Amino acid sequence: MLSKLKALWRTMTRPAKHISLGVLTLGGFLAGVIFWGGFNTALEASNTEEFCIGCHEMRDNVYVELQQTVHWSNHSGVRATCPDCHVPHNWTDKIARKMQASKELWGTIFGTIDTREKFLAKRLELATHEWDRLSANGSLECKNCHEYASMDWDAMSEVARTQMEQAAERDQSCIDCHKGIAHELPESMAAASGALAGLQRQATSRFNPGQQYFSIRQLPLFTDSALSQEAGILNSGSVITVVAQQGDALQVEIDGWRKTKGFGRVINEEFGQNIREVTLEKEVATDDSMIQGFEVQEDPLTGLPWQRVSFQLWMGKDDLVDDREILWQEASELYVKNCSTCHSQPEEAHFDTNTWPGMWAGMLSFVNLDGDTQELVLKYLQKHSSDYSDGHH
Amino acid sequence: MESTNPQEQSKRSEWLSFLIICVFLFPILSVVFVGGYGFIVWMLQLIYGPPGHSI
Repeated sequence: MLSKLKALWRTMTRPAKHISLGVLTLGGFLAGVIFWGGFNTALEASNTEEFCIGCHEMRDNVYVELQQTVHWSNHSGVRATCPDCHVPHNWTDKIARKMQASKELWGTIFGTIDTREKFLAKRLELATHEWDRLSANGSLECKNCHEYASMDWDAMSEVARTQMEQAAERDQSCIDCHKGIAHELPESMAAASGALAGLQRQATSRFNPGQQYFSIRQLPLFTDSALSQEAGILNSGSVITVVAQQGDALQVEIDGWRKTKGFGRVINEEFGQNIREVTLEKEVATDDSMIQGFEVQEDPLTGLPWQRVSFQLWMGKDDLVDDREILWQEASELYVKNCSTCHSQPEEAHFDTNTWPGMWAGMLSFVNLDGDTQELVLKYLQKHSSDYSDGHH
Repeated sequence: MESTNPQEQSKRSEWLSFLIICVFLFPILSVVFVGGYGFIVWMLQLIYGPPGHSI
């Protein structure tokens, strides 16, 4: 055996005596063509849905769930298959993912998720892998089809547009808000969706001039009573004072503080506290005829000057309540419900107002809250922080 | 029928080597290299985290 191998090696490492260079090259060339074709065919064959659902773990769990979503059937008749979202499209990452699938083979052989119960118990871990991947690449696989630049804001509902425009501005990762878009969420996370619907049912329909109202969600502000020229966005849980009514529009006054650095687009509720009330369009924020400025104070902690401002804008009548406690109650429940799934949530007054935004942002990837809800709970936490309560650190 | 002619013998072994290289050795090596590359990238991703934005 060894001598045969040695003989073979000798033949391989010496120039051919009997076969011509042309025949050898042609043979190698043809073999190369066949190999290349075969390699790609195999790669493509393993990138089909039939291949993915060849294992019952996929066919009986995630595949069935996909069939209830818009990515399976919709009015345009385009659908996403497993590899569209779950296999990277660029070559290197794709090959790495194919190798990573050896872990899935391991799982199949040893029955890691071979029953529904085992799958459900492991869902959070498995989902977290995909969320981590999509967070890191900015939801690249979503953006292969969905592009911020191609979105028609006018075709969207106002709720969707308000959130989407902000996301587009930051080129946000789709998965930040759209977890559970194609498969069911892990059990512990399913509770929060549609959280603000209950609040919207308690929205006020009667408005009295001079009275304060509070926003349930992020609402667009306008410079005109026809609500056509957008001026900015009122944050969730923010205060406005009604000045006048005209048809379906309210003229509202907003008072707050802003840093005098930059364009001053962000209006905060109070001096020195980063509690975001309004984000203004640049043109409005820099227009002195629209924004009335008052006294300037320097924040001793940051050395930044803050100015008190006041301005009047127009907005729709939807999604405002007349009692802020209604908002705080809902926000407090959401906070407890979502955060206690993983750990005992810190007391609201454990951090100060300007620490909460950072703490909150760090936790958002573990929960499934839409933009409106995120902002409402953050505002609740900030308004109940150590700055507003006695006897805490 | 084993040929005893050394000329014939070496011609046979040349064709045999050629076929072995073309059909088995190089295709298998190619798959091993590509697979190994993918494996290394995967291991790097485990260390440095999943790939980020390309732009």
